[in-house]
Amino acid sequence: MALKSAIRNLRNNPQLLFVRLPPLLSLICILVGVAWLLLLPLNEYSRHTYISENALLPGQVHAYFTGSEQNIFRGYKQELKVLLNEGGQSENGQDEAEFTPAISAKIQSILQVAGLKVATQKYEYTSAGITHQGENTYGIIHAPRGDATEAIVLVAAWKTADDELNLNGVTLALTLARYFKRWSLWSKDIIFLFTPDSKSGTQAWIDAYHDLHPASVHPLPLKSGALQGALVIEYPFEHRFRNLHIVYDGVNGQLPNLDLFNTAVAIAGGQMGIGANLQEMWEHDDSYEARLQTMLRGMTKQGLGYATGAHSSFMPYHIDAITLQPKGEGWEDEMALGRTIESLCRSLNNLLEHLHQSFFFYLLMQSNRFVSIGTYLPSAMLIAGNFTIMAIALWMRTGFHPDNRAEKSTNPKPTEKTVTPISKDASAPEISGHTIAERLLALPLTLVTGLHLLGLVPLWMFNTLPHQLFTTVTYVVVAVDIVFPLLLAALLRNGLGLFTPLVPQQYLLIKSFALLLLGLSLSTLATLNFSLSFMIGLLCAPLSFINRLQCTGVKRYAFSGLGLVLLNLLSPPTVLIGVCWYTGVSVETVLTQAAFGWDVWGMWTQVVVWCVWWPAWLIGCVLLGSSMF
Amino acid sequence: MTVPSLLSLLLALAVTLWSSPVSASSDYHEQLFLQPLPQSSLLASFNFRGNSSQQSFDNQHFRYVPRALGQILQHAHTKELHLRFTTGRWDADSWGSRPWNGSKEGGTGVELWAWIDAADDEEAFAKWITLTQSLSGLFCASLNFVDSTRTTRPVVSFEPTGHHPDANSLHLLHGTLPGEVVCTENLTPFLKLLPCKGKTGISTLFDGHKLFDAAWQSMSVDVQPICSSDGDCLVQIEQTVDMVLDIERSKRPRDNPIPRPVSNDQLVCDTSKHYNADDTCYPLEKVTDKAWSLNEIFGKTLNGICPLADSSEQSVCLRVPHEKGVFATPGASELKKDDGFTRCFSLPASGPFDLSIPEQQLQTEVPLQEPVLHAERTIVGHGQERGGMRIIFGNPSETNAVDFIYFESLPWFLRPYIHTLQATITGHDGIRREIPASDLVTETFYRPAIDRERGTQLELALSVPAASTVTLTYDFEKAVLRYTEYPPDANRGFNVAPAVIRVLDGANSRPLYIRTTSLLLPLPTPDFSMPYNVIILTSTVIALAFGTVFNILVRRVVSVEEAAALNAQTLKSRLLGKLVALRDRFGKKEMKVE
Repeated sequence: MALKSAIRNLRNNPQLLFVRLPPLLSLICILVGVAWLLLLPLNEYSRHTYISENALLPGQVHAYFTGSEQNIFRGYKQELKVLLNEGGQSENGQDEAEFTPAISAKIQSILQVAGLKVATQKYEYTSAGITHQGENTYGIIHAPRGDATEAIVLVAAWKTADDELNLNGVTLALTLARYFKRWSLWSKDIIFLFTPDSKSGTQAWIDAYHDLHPASVHPLPLKSGALQGALVIEYPFEHRFRNLHIVYDGVNGQLPNLDLFNTAVAIAGGQMGIGANLQEMWEHDDSYEARLQTMLRGMTKQGLGYATGAHSSFMPYHIDAITLQPKGEGWEDEMALGRTIESLCRSLNNLLEHLHQSFFFYLLMQSNRFVSIGTYLPSAMLIAGNFTIMAIALWMRTGFHPDNRAEKSTNPKPTEKTVTPISKDASAPEISGHTIAERLLALPLTLVTGLHLLGLVPLWMFNTLPHQLFTTVTYVVVAVDIVFPLLLAALLRNGLGLFTPLVPQQYLLIKSFALLLLGLSLSTLATLNFSLSFMIGLLCAPLSFINRLQCTGVKRYAFSGLGLVLLNLLSPPTVLIGVCWYTGVSVETVLTQAAFGWDVWGMWTQVVVWCVWWPAWLIGCVLLGSSMF
Repeated sequence: MTVPSLLSLLLALAVTLWSSPVSASSDYHEQLFLQPLPQSSLLASFNFRGNSSQQSFDNQHFRYVPRALGQILQHAHTKELHLRFTTGRWDADSWGSRPWNGSKEGGTGVELWAWIDAADDEEAFAKWITLTQSLSGLFCASLNFVDSTRTTRPVVSFEPTGHHPDANSLHLLHGTLPGEVVCTENLTPFLKLLPCKGKTGISTLFDGHKLFDAAWQSMSVDVQPICSSDGDCLVQIEQTVDMVLDIERSKRPRDNPIPRPVSNDQLVCDTSKHYNADDTCYPLEKVTDKAWSLNEIFGKTLNGICPLADSSEQSVCLRVPHEKGVFATPGASELKKDDGFTRCFSLPASGPFDLSIPEQQLQTEVPLQEPVLHAERTIVGHGQERGGMRIIFGNPSETNAVDFIYFESLPWFLRPYIHTLQATITGHDGIRREIPASDLVTETFYRPAIDRERGTQLELALSVPAASTVTLTYDFEKAVLRYTEYPPDANRGFNVAPAVIRVLDGANSRPLYIRTTSLLLPLPTPDFSMPYNVIILTSTVIALAFGTVFNILVRRVVSVEEAAALNAQTLKSRLLGKLVALRDRFGKKEMKVE
């Protein structure tokens, strides 16, 4: 009964329902969303990892890659070193680590002698005025009784993801190729792929494998069946290692099946006695802080959506892939890494079906602890939902005529809770429940659509201009971001004779549409790339509470000015500059990488930034700026 | 080609053995042909051929044609039968052209085609089903899964190899099972069809462990009528087993088959390298062919000759250069053929026979015939909804164009868009040119699929110009299956049968066949735990909705006044109520008693 009467009271009080309650609800959504995320590392909310696909049987077979194979490893390495030194002398020691045709030829001859089918592929990409070109070399072990329906890929890039020379990794792959050829138990073809770098080589190869390559990439002369999994081998130093660092993030925040990661951890830890690290957490003490940090690092990589290694390019094709990086000083040698890979290949070889049993959406916080999508998704959904709540409330509110009588009785009493001006609605026109207003939709709709389309301009600029201009353009965009909303606000306020100046209802409608779109986009995005949605949602959170200020005189200018300054600090280019300053990376590098991602990897982060975040932010600025005029 | 090749040799053997038997009423021949191939491989080609006269066959007097198979064929009115069990793939780049010109092999898995005598298509299909069901039992293969969706009726890809006087009433039906795994359970019934059943003769070499460890292996059964010009007909059964064994792998002892790394002193290193040391070795691959013997390769020696076969027959032939030293068991006579490469052995009538070839370095090598056509078929594109097929034909010949028929049967859930068929051609200059597909395709036989009833059947007559590569592509759409139509391993993907290519060679009367590898088609697959989640969720929702609706419907809504009246019941009405309740109870009891 009490609830019933409360609801009845609410219904009879639209002022409370549409003006006072929604910001409160929105704020609660945001706070709960953030708190939810912070709860995840606790034992009660995260789970122990487990192998879901029984066929994998990780670590159930003995790995034989030892003994005289190491002599051959050293032999191959010396052979490559000789070529490396020759190349170094001719290039004056500058480009000594280049993947020269001589090295490619040597790799081909070694593979050929070992009995593999060998082929090469040339590719060339141009992005932000820089040309990336190279030649992939690959060899295929035909499964002895197979019929080319399935395959596993082993990748050794000449340069690791950190741009170091991966001599040991390449040699290890060559030795493994010769060793694997002797075994008759392979049910799938094994493809050994040698790429000049970790960024573009695998992408060119995998695109061509599916015949979806651009014209500048050559088609593959030799193919096998459906790819079931890919492992990337890195070993860019000479000393022995202690731990295995497993990198698993794909392009656009896509992740490999959790089973693959778990298998790698189980084999490294359980069979080989090598500890597994993830997300560059070298000292993980399994405390709450360490778990949270691991998770946040994972979320950052996922949110930015860039390729973290040669394995990342496989993910868009639904091929599960990870990179194995030896790290630290210890007593494990290259043969231990080789045995780990052998055992992993044996596990993948056992697969009867494509990896599908385990999770594709997860956040890892320790090598043996994760949260799945059902547990973490509400956090981003709540944050995205806050915009939708505000949008619906504003829409309802614009359906009523402002009641002048009510306005007089209530006194404007702004409540300042956060630095941004929030809950200014007390000064907004009050609503009485019985006068229904007609909504003037044309201009708000046009404006919101137009501004969203305007996002294509920076999107195009940052993906096509030459990289030298990126820093300048970023600052230009910062300047435009300051001036443009004010100009637009002034234009809307005065109409300039083109249209009648906006009425307060239209400002609310503009905000409603902008937030509706933002909420819609972010909640959709949350299911695809949780972290990106979460980050953008947090950065946009102030937009829910921004309104045209109604107070008078100096106060209005002061508040709106302050609000604009604060908002400008949260604009996409300023955030970019801020993050670059904090991490010490140049803006040009980041943007060049982003343009490369767009051109080569098919990265979509920019689209979200410029067509979702930026327009929403712009509209917030226009609303705040309009109170100046 | 001046040098006779493996293939023409096999042909010659087949033809010589063929021409004689028409006169004889029944006879039996067996032949083993061995040829070392590059990369330490060995091709072993077994052939068993028996005849019986049509008359004795019709009278169910079986001798060399096994009763089990003969009765099935009679029951299903099958005049000609071809059954193939194949695994692995023939590596044409290293091994050259295929044994028997590819006519004794099938696509990966099981392939069956037969000419059935029937009045119309329906009757033929009914007999075909009888045939597949019976053969399924006979060969322990899933041939009973060859249903209407997997059955096609090729128009130009196959021609009867036997002689049929009344060819008009014959119907050709063809079925494939690309996912079938060929193993020992298929070999045992295969051996039982042989007259000597693997006890004596060359069939003693069949050992499941070795046979199914082969890199490529094909078993075939062909039954066909052979008629002479004067109308006498024979029923001929021919069984072949071809396999490519890895010599090194086959020589590993059975109790220690693991290819462990060899000990350091057994490594063969390139000592000319400056870094060569005790712990550093650049491996030197052997240039000489490895030593082998029949015993090592097959794990058994050949146990005498099959007494039913002609005892003077040279039933083991080996194709190595004549200067190569080959040691045979004493008692066997060796005959070197004129071509410089082939030698044949007559086996001793009883006792074991073994061949042994020591490791030796020779200048001459047995020439391998270049395949006349390279074909590769792959699925391209990705995603759950659409895909594309890409077929590449390469003609290695510098002078001659190749005419052939490309035949593929696609499952119904792969829906090709034939209008998207496009061709590109890469000639001498290496430049890709788009050309209309009609420039290459001279004839098309196309039978579109009907969902859940039959698959697509596509036969294209094509011509590839000399020294060029033709790429055909077309797009297809993937159908969404019904929930129950998915197999248990739905996420593996669905097998698409290999395409069959029949090369049309005017000079050569024997057909030349090439088969592509089979394909794996990933279909949109539901998360099979999802239905249960959905059931649980919907049940909850329905329960909630039903609960509230039921509550609203059943609950009596009364005004306050009515409620007050109801509460303040008079003594009379209470009594009346009790009475009614009592009466109900008694009434019910009486009902039960009755």
